[in-house]
Amino acid sequence: MNREKVVFSFFMILALTLNYGFYAGEVDNPNHHNVYELFAVVIVNMIATVLKFGDRSQMGAMLLATSLVALVQLFSASIVWTYVVNIQGDPMTPDTMSTIISLSGGALIANFISVILLIIETSMMRH
Amino acid sequence: MSLVTSLIMRQMRAPIIILILGYSISILGMVLTPGLDDQGNLWHMNFFDAFYFVSYTATTIGFGEIPYPLSNAQRTWALFTIYLTVISWFYSLGKIISLVQDPTFREALKINQFTHQLARIPDSFILICGFGETGHALASALTERNIHTVVIENNTQIIQTLPLEDFKLVVPGIKGDASNPEDLIVAGLQHPKCAAVIAATASDETNLKIAVTSKLLNPEICVICRSELEEYESNMFSFGTDFVVNPFDTFANIFAMAMHSPSLHLLYDWLTGVPDTDLSNPVYIKEGHWIICGFGRFGEGLYQQLLKSNIQVTVIDPSEKKREKFLNRPENSGNDFIIGTGFDAHTLTVAGVGHAVGLISGTDNDSNNLSIIMTAREINPDLFIVARHNKKTNEKLFIATDANIIMQPSEIIARKIRSLLVSPLMIAFLNKARNQDPTWANITISRIMGALGESIPNIWTLHVNQEEAKALCMVLRLGRIMRVGNLLQDPRQREQQIEAIPLLLKRNQKLLLMPTDDIAIKSGDEFLFCGTPGANRSMRWTLNDIHSLNYIMTYEETHDSFIWRKITQFIKSKERRNRPRKNPHRIK
Repeated sequence: MNREKVVFSFFMILALTLNYGFYAGEVDNPNHHNVYELFAVVIVNMIATVLKFGDRSQMGAMLLATSLVALVQLFSASIVWTYVVNIQGDPMTPDTMSTIISLSGGALIANFISVILLIIETSMMRH
Repeated sequence: MSLVTSLIMRQMRAPIIILILGYSISILGMVLTPGLDDQGNLWHMNFFDAFYFVSYTATTIGFGEIPYPLSNAQRTWALFTIYLTVISWFYSLGKIISLVQDPTFREALKINQFTHQLARIPDSFILICGFGETGHALASALTERNIHTVVIENNTQIIQTLPLEDFKLVVPGIKGDASNPEDLIVAGLQHPKCAAVIAATASDETNLKIAVTSKLLNPEICVICRSELEEYESNMFSFGTDFVVNPFDTFANIFAMAMHSPSLHLLYDWLTGVPDTDLSNPVYIKEGHWIICGFGRFGEGLYQQLLKSNIQVTVIDPSEKKREKFLNRPENSGNDFIIGTGFDAHTLTVAGVGHAVGLISGTDNDSNNLSIIMTAREINPDLFIVARHNKKTNEKLFIATDANIIMQPSEIIARKIRSLLVSPLMIAFLNKARNQDPTWANITISRIMGALGESIPNIWTLHVNQEEAKALCMVLRLGRIMRVGNLLQDPRQREQQIEAIPLLLKRNQKLLLMPTDDIAIKSGDEFLFCGTPGANRSMRWTLNDIHSLNYIMTYEETHDSFIWRKITQFIKSKERRNRPRKNPHRIK
């Protein structure tokens, strides 16, 4: 068992599960989506991205790309949240919430692809 | 992704993750810790406030307690935050600094820089393996003629001082073992711009290895080897090395040339010298009794040349074995072999230095050579002295001895290789010139001096084809006759001559020395010219610009005024362009 692989896979799958946890629920209901969960998703995704740095293989490049996509989506979601709540000073509305959730939905797909790629890579190593 | 970025990224993983973790723990803690707002209500920082607070705390900027004064619980967490994040930053910075100092990283950085330098070379380059004295002399000689060179050298110190050298062009260098194929590939062996490889290391074995590697990995490339031992030489030739240069043989040949025909030697010296430096003076080697000190590869090579001219020679060498071998050969019967070193007056007197005309100090030790020259000069000040100069650092000493010929192996090799690389026509010219009688060389020398003045001429070739001579080809296709003399007319003032001399014409594999002005040029001809750089530019102008060519070819003066002439030229060229079908053969 390779410990590096365990850490690597752990963070990627955790990114996916947390992302799903944040995403699940009614799209425009602020009560269904927790800000701490978004924070956790962003942090775990950042770590997963950094773990993919410096891999020169084709698969490594694909994994890094999907992670970067997820990060871009999640950063956009956080910026929307910060802008509306802290800069405009408005309370969270269903409108804003649905924007944030759809952005995080995009990140969810990217994270999903990441995990699929990870599974493909692992199964290829078996043969 | 290049190796350098990949290395940085890989090394930066841990510090970045530490930073992310430190920040996220601090932010989360800050959000969760209860505080009070200005009205005394329970208040929590949101993520935005917390991120702001942690950012200015972690970077030790410290704006203070924003937006409200912190509660004691928040201050406790802030303490924790300060130590956690500041230490994370120190760790990351330390990592970055150690990465920059990492030898692997620095090597990768250098290779990266080298590759960029290779990509920036405009046309083609020559790879020099080994940057000792020979390599240095070569790089200097080639860059003087605007040929780009690249260096691979094993010694780190030499590579580090390479950028400080004062060459005409930038010479990129890389540290590497030239006998290792991988290092040679990194140095550009398989680069599409690599035109030739020169194996110029001090070891014949390494040179052999370089030649094998180059011919196997890039068969189309021209390979030139330096070699000092015969057995390696034949081995190098056996798998297609294009040229093998032996400094001792080369010098012996030059010496023979100087002996038989001083003017031919002078011509050789001029044409292979560094352009735009002063012309050298002829060397006259006297016939009579000669003394050779040191009977190694150098001494023996010269001995054979002297023997061919039936000159009486006395050899001085400390080796008994060499003496036996020498005396056993019947052709050596007329000559003496004295056991000794040569730097003591006694041996030299016994060898007859008092009545000798020439002395060759050819040992492989510079101090011995200098001592021999000094002692011999004291006994016989009129001696003609040939000095073998081994180490570049002793150059000033040898110049001070005022020896008539100073032979420096690296200079000899550099000169030879440069003449090989400048043009194949140059080699053909020198070979053919060697078979001419001395008067021919005298006439040629006076022509060059008369036309070009006091400095070493530039050499260039002209291949009469579409790329190099567009206008000329066009005129030839129309059946007009253009002669060699026309090429030498100045395109600005056709009554005047440009400062160039045709040295050689190659047509259908036949070579013609010094083609005369009345020879008609044919498509496919190859010429070798010597002259000034300005003459080269003027000639290119004539060859490629139809107006200049027409100006040269029109012999009757039509307009006296310069402006008027230009205007008619312009109008005619317009007419020609507008009505190409009516007058296809008119080019005036």
